[in-house]
Amino acid sequence: MPAVLKIENLVTRFGSVVALDGVSLAAQESKITTVIGANGAGKSTLLRTISGLERPASGSITWQGQSIVGLRPEDIVRMGIAHVPEGHAVISELSVEENISMGSLFRRRKFKSDVAQAIDEMYQLFPRLQERRKQMAGTLSGGERQMLAISRALVSRPQLLLLDEPSLGLAPLVVEQIIDSVNILCRSTGLTVLLVEQNANTALGVADHGVLLALGKVVADRPAAELKADANLRAAYLGY
Amino acid sequence: MRDVSDLKAHSIARKSFFRTILFVIAVLIAGSFFDAYNQAQLAVVLVLFIGVLSVTLLTGISGQLSLGQGALMAVGGYANALLMINYKLSLWVAIPLSIIAASLAGLLLGIAAARLSGPYLAGTTLVIALAIPSLANRFISVFKGDEGLPVDVGYPPAWLTSAVGELSYEKWQLYVALPFAALALFFASNILLSRTGRMWRSIRDNEIATSLNGINFSRQKIFVFVVSAAFAGLSGALYGLRGLVGPSVYPVSLSLTLLTAAVLGGIRNISGAFIGTVIVVFLPDWIDAVMGNFHLSEQVTNFLPPLISSLLLILVVVINPAGVAGIRLHKGK
Amino acid sequence: MHTFLAALFSGTSRGAIYALVALGLVIVWRGAGIVNFAQMGQAMFSTYIASTLITQGYSYWVGFTVAIIAGALLGAIIDILVMRPLSNKKQTELLSSDSMRAAVPVIASLGILGVLQALAGIIWAAEERGFPAPAKQEGFSVAGNVMPFTSFDLFVISLVLFTLVITTLFFRKTGVGLAMRATALNQEVAKLSGIRTNRTRTLSWAISGAASSLAGLLITPTSNLSPNTLDLVLIVGFISAVVGGLDSPAGAVLGGLILGMVISFVTFFDTPEDVFISILVVLLLVLILRPRGILGRKDARRV
Repeated sequence: MPAVLKIENLVTRFGSVVALDGVSLAAQESKITTVIGANGAGKSTLLRTISGLERPASGSITWQGQSIVGLRPEDIVRMGIAHVPEGHAVISELSVEENISMGSLFRRRKFKSDVAQAIDEMYQLFPRLQERRKQMAGTLSGGERQMLAISRALVSRPQLLLLDEPSLGLAPLVVEQIIDSVNILCRSTGLTVLLVEQNANTALGVADHGVLLALGKVVADRPAAELKADANLRAAYLGY
Repeated sequence: MRDVSDLKAHSIARKSFFRTILFVIAVLIAGSFFDAYNQAQLAVVLVLFIGVLSVTLLTGISGQLSLGQGALMAVGGYANALLMINYKLSLWVAIPLSIIAASLAGLLLGIAAARLSGPYLAGTTLVIALAIPSLANRFISVFKGDEGLPVDVGYPPAWLTSAVGELSYEKWQLYVALPFAALALFFASNILLSRTGRMWRSIRDNEIATSLNGINFSRQKIFVFVVSAAFAGLSGALYGLRGLVGPSVYPVSLSLTLLTAAVLGGIRNISGAFIGTVIVVFLPDWIDAVMGNFHLSEQVTNFLPPLISSLLLILVVVINPAGVAGIRLHKGK
Repeated sequence: MHTFLAALFSGTSRGAIYALVALGLVIVWRGAGIVNFAQMGQAMFSTYIASTLITQGYSYWVGFTVAIIAGALLGAIIDILVMRPLSNKKQTELLSSDSMRAAVPVIASLGILGVLQALAGIIWAAEERGFPAPAKQEGFSVAGNVMPFTSFDLFVISLVLFTLVITTLFFRKTGVGLAMRATALNQEVAKLSGIRTNRTRTLSWAISGAASSLAGLLITPTSNLSPNTLDLVLIVGFISAVVGGLDSPAGAVLGGLILGMVISFVTFFDTPEDVFISILVVLLLVLILRPRGILGRKDARRV
């Protein structure tokens, strides 16, 4: 399986704080790669740098053979990368429908008929959203909002999904549901997923490959099963 | 603990005192070298400096954008003129009373505006700024409408002329403005260095944290309005003493002028307020000096100063919002 | 009775113009998250352009159309030259506080207003000039009496209603409208959705510029054209938008009408000098009793 996303020696700084200190990793096509680590390890910054929200100080990011460093987020989306940021990933003042539509706007000209189909597929994947189509996104529960955020990203038919801490603030059952859906989607459509999670257990349970980040550096880069089994590593970096 | 805070208050007062002394000396020296025209300009700088300080305190330090400072100047100006004309009070008595009047107006303004922020605050204060001059036209018998109330600084007292010799009118204007400007500087410096200043800055920087800290947020905001209004009122009273108090002296654009001066010089500190005032007052003269060689129509020369100051305002805001004086400190506060 | 009707009609047609100004403000607020104090400066400027064309012999409608296009272009230029640099990252890092971040665009728009007024003074001098109206200024005749309502008033009101309908439909039903709202509400999520936020914002500014030019063209016949004529109109327009709700186009129209009526009745039944104070009272009432405006929806950023 070729690596479609290659990151080499990525350095991202905020003023004098170095959030990413020479990170190198690769995501295999149609596999779920998870990035785990404690708070402040730089996981979110990594995703934000890939999607273009942050500019790296140095290093390279290659997607399907093309360098995407320095491109604007809206252009990176058009290249097939969708990012679901942590926390406020939906617009509360817009309805569920509008939030999902938002993700498909840029495809309307070229893929008109497919857009309607893509939106339908989202409602099939998350029936709860279908029930609440016309409601304001701000009135949804935490789990529903996360589903909405993911739908907004998926409706653009990406080839790479950047998922940032989907479990944050959600009940375990809901988290399971969401991760399951993403897993199914990945296996059935060949979507490549880069999953950032603090809940290492859940993440490693569903991923193919795992990258452990600490203080902006890559500490381990192995198949998920191996990482999961490595008790020393877990104790040292993940606290369990 | 009490000793420590007393000590702090003492050292703050001492710092402010030194700054003020330096300021007074610098102004006196400059004044002695200037010709009459520039002395009068310098007097205007001192007067407007106090008004710009009101903007610095309100907007730069506590983060509340008000477009009504010019109107508060008008309140001070009218109060002063009425007291001097109708009650024959000397300006040294009338001015403190006008400060009180303006502070009251500031209190009302603060109560109305304390719950607002951003464009809502700006718009409301702008409307109030317009409403106040229209009062002058409404009660023409009292305020004499567009005609206005004539007042001026009068003549220097005998003891002064016998001490330093004959004073030109411009010099006397300067000597009247200076003590007030010095006082304003002293108080402003005190506030900025003190705990009050820190509280105001925290209002600007982090509203949520401030209110969580138990500080009575609204009350402090209103207090800032009152203090800033006091400065504006003083400035307005002195401004009117150039000869006339009327709607044409305190137009809506006056608030904008104060704001421009504050932003251009650096909205976060006192030196910025002074630099900005100097720029705004002397800009027309500088432009004249440069463009005098070109033969431009009156149309152009009339509008060139406002054009350039507005352009500068945009440039400063876009490139470095901290302004001229703030150029080096964009990493800190 | 006649005075009452006169006040009523005058209030409606005035209100329609304030509604237009308020609409322009609402568009920029919804599409760019900023209150544009320079709006009436833009209107004044485009009206001057129209006036220049008309005095050179072109028809009113040519001047009209050019002015509206000029207004749109002017709006776009302002966004590209001033507002875009203002919203980039470096800016937000330089200013540590929310209140300053909100204040900076306001100050910038005031600067733009100053530039436009000064430029107008330089190009066209500050003398007031008249400006023609496209329709008759006399009242209709109904049953032998002359109504205090002219065909021009009719023109204004229908134009405003038309603009309102188009604007509401545009924002609610079109993709571009959705993109504009998303950009203003949460730029980051909008970008991640593939929306070209810069372009979208410029479009909001262009549309708003066109709307304010329209307002300028409509109000100028009844007063005279000078660099400062429209200042008051902006203030009242701003208050209309606040009264109706800064994020609601329908609110803008409602607010405009309310203020038009207030001003009209105060002028007719009281004295014109009380206008400002009555406006202030209305503004304060709304800000105290219903801060988000009569038709305002979300908890708009007031505190």
